[in-house]
Amino acid sequence: MLEAPDAADLLATARESLLRKLLPALPAHLHYEARMAANAIAIASRAVSADPAPVAARLALLADDAASFAAAIRAGEFAPGTPRHAEAAVLLRDMARLRCSVSAPRALRDVGPGSVLPGE
Amino acid sequence: MDEARRSALNAWLSAAAGARVEIGAASLLSGGAIQQNWAISVTRNGIAEEWVLRTDNAATLAVSLSRTEEYALLVAAFAAGVTVPEPLFCCEDASITGAPFFVMRRVCGTATAFRLAKQAAAEGGDAALVRHAGREMARIHSIVPPREDLAFLGAPPADAGVAFIRAMRARLDAAGTPRPVLEWGLSALERHPLAPRPSVLCHNDFRTGNLMVQDHAITAVLDWEFAAWGDPHADLGWLCAPCWRFGNLALEAGGLGPRDALLEGYGPAADPSRLPFWELAASIRWAVIAADQGARHLSGQERGLELALTAHIIPELELDIIGQVEALDAGSA
Repeated sequence: MLEAPDAADLLATARESLLRKLLPALPAHLHYEARMAANAIAIASRAVSADPAPVAARLALLADDAASFAAAIRAGEFAPGTPRHAEAAVLLRDMARLRCSVSAPRALRDVGPGSVLPGE
Repeated sequence: MDEARRSALNAWLSAAAGARVEIGAASLLSGGAIQQNWAISVTRNGIAEEWVLRTDNAATLAVSLSRTEEYALLVAAFAAGVTVPEPLFCCEDASITGAPFFVMRRVCGTATAFRLAKQAAAEGGDAALVRHAGREMARIHSIVPPREDLAFLGAPPADAGVAFIRAMRARLDAAGTPRPVLEWGLSALERHPLAPRPSVLCHNDFRTGNLMVQDHAITAVLDWEFAAWGDPHADLGWLCAPCWRFGNLALEAGGLGPRDALLEGYGPAADPSRLPFWELAASIRWAVIAADQGARHLSGQERGLELALTAHIIPELELDIIGQVEALDAGSA
């Protein structure tokens, strides 16, 4: 129904234009702002293709929603020695990895073994 | 800086200095999200001096100290022998420039974190620099309560670790966004409490980026607006947290040098067994601050790219926190 190029293509094209054509023509004091704009576009591009559904489905097995999961953790429900500690720990890591895959993919290079993200 | 403001400043500075002060060149330095820093070249009775004028931005974080309080800290630190810019004058009257401000002597060096980290990495770590950082920190921590001149800091906490957990939970509740990983980290801190110890003055933002450096030495410890009474290891942990290593993960002390050199410079009062707690606390605290900065953008209070992108640092901090919790629980931190 929607016209192509799609959101991902437009964002990538706009980012390339910003970095290759606009940035070199900008005065030095605006370079930081332009690089931040390019970074924002990159994050948005990755967000378009991220799929939080599988992780959200696993969260639903442990708690009603993120708020009740957070509250249960604070109450000590998933502390070491409780039956669902390991399950919660793996889910939290996968949530953080999913979030990093959008916000800071470079952070995923340096971390130790964890379960693998869908599509990774 | 317009003419009216400049002449009002000239008059105020001359009265404060008891000498004829005239501002020549003035330029806005790349400052923090909260303050404005102006580099000003002045003449005092005809003799040239280089100063920095520090004042508030329009929107100020409620959690940071005022300029006049920051000035009092600078005076106390200078007197304790901490390497800080010499404090000169403080003006509480908002009518002169539109906000309270203070003036300090300008120091040489660079505070640009990525440049310093890159330089340190090229040398395989700068042990001399981080030893110096340890000595500076120990001098800051020689300032202990009670202090009449720092009364605005309030009473020292009975247990800095417990107070930290309580304060972070309150800020998460106030922000209203559920943060399961930050809760995971705070619960781990609660499981591994430290024995309380007497409070000292903590800088609370002692990291690469707030240290002016020249020739392997610190020429100034900057940005005192988060200072508070607390556990000295909170400062050591903040500098050593993974998030302040600027890509040099192996150089634990601020991405500049080895943690051991920092502790050596600090001296025997440092207890390395307290560091895993405070390094985890540092990751959590930075994530909470980043969330609050993102919220300023989201709420429309102060929209802008820098604040918007700061929120996107949080997922990376969450990965750090998960690893730090694991190490703390395993006793291997």
